[in-house]
Amino acid sequence: MDFELTNDQQELRDAVRAVLATACPPSMVRQVYESKADDGASRAAPLWRQMVQLDWPALTIPEPFGGLGLGYVELAVVVEELGRAVAPTPFVSTATQFVPMVRQAGTSEQQDTFLRPVAEAGSTGTLALAEDDGRWEAASVATTARPVGDSWVLDGKKSFVFDGATADEVAVVARQEGTSGDEGLGVFVVAQASLTSRPADVIDPSQPLAEVLLDNVAVPADRMLVAPGDPRAVETINRAIQEATAAIAIGMTGTCRAIFEITLQYAKDREQYGRPIGSFQALKHRLVDMYLAVERATSLAYFAALTIAEDDERRGLAVAMAKAAAGDCQRLVVQDGLQLHGGVGFTWEHDLHFYLKRAKSANALFGSALMQRAAIVSRLGLVLDEPAGSEAP
Amino acid sequence: MRLSFDRSVEGFRQTFLAWLADNRPSPEEMAADPALSSGHAPPWARRWTRTMFDAGWLVPGWPPERGGRNASPLEQLVYLEEMARADVPRSTNPQGLGIIAPSILDYGSEEQIGSYAMPILRGERTGCLGMSEPGAGSDLAALSTRAVLDGDQFVINGQKVWTSGANHADFCFLFCRTDPSAAKHKGISVVLVDIDTPGVSVRPLPELVAPEYPELNEVFFTDVVVPAANLVGTLNDGWAMANGSLAHERGMVWVSSVMALDASMRHMLDAAPGWLSKLRSGERAVAAAMVADLYVDTQAVRCLGYRGFGKLMRGGSAPEQALMKLFSSETRQRLGLVAAEVEGAASVTVSPQGARGPFLAVDEASTWMEQYFRSFGLTISAGSSEIQRNIIAEKVLGLPRS
Repeated sequence: MDFELTNDQQELRDAVRAVLATACPPSMVRQVYESKADDGASRAAPLWRQMVQLDWPALTIPEPFGGLGLGYVELAVVVEELGRAVAPTPFVSTATQFVPMVRQAGTSEQQDTFLRPVAEAGSTGTLALAEDDGRWEAASVATTARPVGDSWVLDGKKSFVFDGATADEVAVVARQEGTSGDEGLGVFVVAQASLTSRPADVIDPSQPLAEVLLDNVAVPADRMLVAPGDPRAVETINRAIQEATAAIAIGMTGTCRAIFEITLQYAKDREQYGRPIGSFQALKHRLVDMYLAVERATSLAYFAALTIAEDDERRGLAVAMAKAAAGDCQRLVVQDGLQLHGGVGFTWEHDLHFYLKRAKSANALFGSALMQRAAIVSRLGLVLDEPAGSEAP
Repeated sequence: MRLSFDRSVEGFRQTFLAWLADNRPSPEEMAADPALSSGHAPPWARRWTRTMFDAGWLVPGWPPERGGRNASPLEQLVYLEEMARADVPRSTNPQGLGIIAPSILDYGSEEQIGSYAMPILRGERTGCLGMSEPGAGSDLAALSTRAVLDGDQFVINGQKVWTSGANHADFCFLFCRTDPSAAKHKGISVVLVDIDTPGVSVRPLPELVAPEYPELNEVFFTDVVVPAANLVGTLNDGWAMANGSLAHERGMVWVSSVMALDASMRHMLDAAPGWLSKLRSGERAVAAAMVADLYVDTQAVRCLGYRGFGKLMRGGSAPEQALMKLFSSETRQRLGLVAAEVEGAASVTVSPQGARGPFLAVDEASTWMEQYFRSFGLTISAGSSEIQRNIIAEKVLGLPRS
């Protein structure tokens, strides 16, 4: 039992941090913020190329498919640092959403087809799961899959898809017509060229989202990862959702830590009444509470990472707790971080808002703290009259 | 990073559990004759502490001659978790075992080790900590109890307050002022005072819950004479020991806080369906969310403790440790608060047999409301939550002093 990073993991963290310090300063995030939506992706492209050269996307891809075969804790280390730098990069969608889904669901041939390009050539991918109701759960999927000969035809609309307008490959969760709940679910990989995507106008342009329209899109059988009706579908999809959700929580803790550190530095530097404002007890206590919230969330984020890495049976509960705690954390650090900065934090020119907006967005996506808390209630058996239906992922 | 334990640590756990099953006092025996305060050791507790000492299970991290077996930090963690799970105290005098004995072993003379520290470890004597005074609470260094060196003896005059277990303890590990002209941190010494020394009088201060079982006391010292040889460590160097004793207290004490919190959470989860069944669906959703929040907190406290522990094991410093007292005590308090609130009208009933036993113990006999009130013992003592925040702000976050 050890909740501290190993030396190798520590070195990975230092390396990622060093790279991001030069390749992803706030000025670079600002360029993305101040570009037009389609231009933003090109501003972020050099960072992605550098990450590919450093083999980061290959981290958790199994070695037979060109990856490094490392575990979820290593992935968590990278994701936390990316959150800390509010990095505009398709890493989260590719490495924490697309890769886990293909790894969980794909045959060896399919993993080789879809993961090797990620590992070796920086191809990108994402997961199209949620729809208009903003729920990242299998049971809520309405998009349909209809068999036509050897292929399948997908029809529906996906929303809030991370990098959905730019990802080379999109893993789509759909269901057989006429099914509901956990029945009839399947997973397909659709190439960007085969679908219509529309970038969403979002408050955090450093993490682009898109609508993905599937208008009678034909998908050949070799792009079907899980056949609709396969009994292992829900478990497979839920595992992928857990990996993706934990990654959002971990990235959020990184972003929240950055907000806390920036605010702490400001409290030391800013002087009023002839002394640093951080010497006032009213501010000290709030800063300690922010620090505690960040440590609380980080502890649960790494617990979730460990349960995934070791396939511990507590993983579902651990992921819900991690995302809930990260949500609680952002609520406090965004609130107090902005408030303690005073007027300057309220301006566009100050970099603080990049972090605030990332934290708020991350809470709202992949199940907010409110939804996670409800999932915890359910997992603890505190729901006495639960209507028949789906189980939380 | 990993969740599971090494096979060797699991082996250690099995060895201990087997020994514990064969030797532990029975719950009936413990309940029939409970410790009346943290300075009281009933006969079963004296026998049990001695049994643990002799078998090397009292302080496993120490060498055999001091009641241990040179266990590794991870083994000590497993040991403390299993002790808490078994719901058996190592000693009913936790401040004696956790703070006073280690401090005397570190700073005391051979005679003091022989007559004060080892008897605590063998379950023969109990000690209390004379720290706070009416004018020196959070600001401990302002203490004014005076010890004047007169030849080969000290003459002590003054008053302590909030002294846990002084009503039953055999002796006091007393912080007193020995140089009133020095700066306040620099004129403090520690003297060992037997409670039955003439001039020492103890007046219990019944608490707001269960006043029939007082834990806290006022202790008055009027021309109390003790041998100069009772000075622990160096004259006027007691402040280092105040910090040192707190370090002993914080070293592994988080494990028992975490385990106590876990036990309370389990009791709450056991009770919750009964409470929720009496609520309407809208009320139930609100109540269940409150319970879930606390569950997240209790798990976070444990994981935060493990993170700090991981750093300490590597020999580094662990800022997480500074947060543990604050976080665990406030979570414990919220737990009592929420449980009593969700319980509703029934929460106002006092427990039939009264809340018994040491102040800080998990006490299933107490109602949630009583546990809530008692939890203030955790957020006020040993550095209140407000003082903890000041300390963390300055020592960990590096904010300037006010």
